Amino acid sequence: MLKAESKEPVKSWRGRLFTAACFVFVVIFVAFVLLLIIADIFYIDSKAVLTVLTSRFIRHALWMSIWTSITTVFLSLIFAIPIGFILSRFRFRGRLLVDTVIDLPIIFPPLVAGLTLLVFFSQTVFGRWIQEDLGIEFVFQPKGIVLCQFLVSASFAIRSAKTAFDDVDRRYENVALTLGCSQWGSFWRVSLPLASNGIIAGGILTWARAFGLFGPLIIFVGSFRGRTEVLSTTVFLEQSIGNLEVALAVALLMILVALIALTIIHFVGGTTQVKL
Amino acid sequence: MIRVVRLSFSIGDFRLDQFNLEAAQGQYFVMLGPPGSGKTILLECLCGLARIAAGHIYIDGTDVTNLEPRKRGIGYVPQDYALFPNLSVERNISFGLRFRGYSRQVITSKVMQAMEMLGIVYLQKRSVYGLSGGEKQRVALARALVMEPKVLLLDEPVCALDEATRQDICAQLHNVQRQLGLTTIHVSHNLEETFSVADMAGILYQGSLQQVGSMNQLLRKPQNEFVAHFMRCRNIFSGEAVAQGTKSATTKVRAGSVDLLVQGKYQGRIKFTIRPESIRLTNNLPNEPVDNKLQVKLIRSRDCGNYVQVTLKGPLDLIVHLSHAAFADLAAKPQSELIAVLSPENIHVLPE
Repeated sequence: MLKAESKEPVKSWRGRLFTAACFVFVVIFVAFVLLLIIADIFYIDSKAVLTVLTSRFIRHALWMSIWTSITTVFLSLIFAIPIGFILSRFRFRGRLLVDTVIDLPIIFPPLVAGLTLLVFFSQTVFGRWIQEDLGIEFVFQPKGIVLCQFLVSASFAIRSAKTAFDDVDRRYENVALTLGCSQWGSFWRVSLPLASNGIIAGGILTWARAFGLFGPLIIFVGSFRGRTEVLSTTVFLEQSIGNLEVALAVALLMILVALIALTIIHFVGGTTQVKL
Repeated sequence: MIRVVRLSFSIGDFRLDQFNLEAAQGQYFVMLGPPGSGKTILLECLCGLARIAAGHIYIDGTDVTNLEPRKRGIGYVPQDYALFPNLSVERNISFGLRFRGYSRQVITSKVMQAMEMLGIVYLQKRSVYGLSGGEKQRVALARALVMEPKVLLLDEPVCALDEATRQDICAQLHNVQRQLGLTTIHVSHNLEETFSVADMAGILYQGSLQQVGSMNQLLRKPQNEFVAHFMRCRNIFSGEAVAQGTKSATTKVRAGSVDLLVQGKYQGRIKFTIRPESIRLTNNLPNEPVDNKLQVKLIRSRDCGNYVQVTLKGPLDLIVHLSHAAFADLAAKPQSELIAVLSPENIHVLPE
């Protein structure tokens, strides 16, 4: 008997076995992640939840996590869009080196990033000039959180922007140039709107990386309650003093915030093809 | 009018060297050539999308060589049309007008005018997704025409379309071009398409312009072997001019084992072509005295739709195109003996 029609190609039992095997991996991974979260939910008690909801310091850390990560995303995109466009559209001497340097922070061990920033701002002439003479202080300051997050996560935005511009056919830009656009106009009205979904995806990755950042922050800005504490460092502080339930409750709060943010961004990202 | 003077451009191993071209005001010029001959690069140079190494490009007498694409007064329709996928049909067409500072009413009226001219008003609010090839082509053309360009450049505008749509679009292109009196350069590799639209055509091969002329000239008087071959003439032979012909201004040419009378005076080794449709085939020797009769044997015949292609073996191996009626009159089968008559005026000696 014929089965219901579909756009799927006709498969032998081997083909169906292959698809089923792939699905097994999907199920294992999703189940693993969900199990971990469910285990956390069952471990915490109402007292821990109450502590998280009422603690002034945790509310401050939540606020710090949100504003620093959002600022980092904006800052990263400001750099990522022109850099991604240049890397996608122009061939120049030293391009390979530039490409490698841009990817470097992705493979940096996070602690090294923090240490490098600390050494730069506290031990080098230029770093001290910025801190002391210009008065722009980063070490152990909230501004330092943004700098740390930017260093470690901007590469994701740049890489995504480059890929997004690579996917925009140059013929669209060429046609726009013959239709009266300047280079800037063609970028602004054609390339950028067509690359917008990829750029937004890069922003999501950047935000996720910045929001959960921990290692470099502990070294470069520390974790001072009510000042430079963010949610990831709260988890560390709470578990280091034996408050495992509170640490887990904060971790679940982070997951909840991330879930809400990703849902909103996915929803907006899917329809944000900028209208010209 | 567009004039290209000694244009040079190279990319990788490919080069356009000292390239000259002229298309008169209101002329429909088709640049023919096989894939990889440099047609698209040539258009990009004319648009200003590729910076040339030397030479000049004049549009209506103005040197535009160093002008940005947007200041050249060019309408460009690229291959596959490049319609902006995030815009509706109407916004695609009005895209360029919005840079000219026109009011919304003027933009709407110009867009409607272009859509009416091309018969695509029904597509106005549609997304470009889901448009057929012919509809996309018309939208891309409207987008270029609405800018009122001085010169229209079309890069293989109908190559992705089915035969019937291609004929419709070609007819429409020709009408619109005539209506607007627009100088047009259209690149293509398709002879039928070119016949339906071209006032003049050029043949490009490896970055070099082989010949410019009317389609009739290219077909009947090719400049060299490449042009003859590109114009689908398979009867290309070598021979030696051996004596003056019996008639005035003719030459007797020995090709293999046969002597042919050729119009014109020639010396030494020559190459000549005979158009397949200009060869007459009969079962018996004609009653009247004729030049250049060859005894040939029919090897095979193939129905090509509009004509029958006949392959013949004899002193010269010939390909002949006959109408269905003419082939039926011959009542010939494979291995039939036939007489091929090659009129001297239909034998064209290649100048190069």
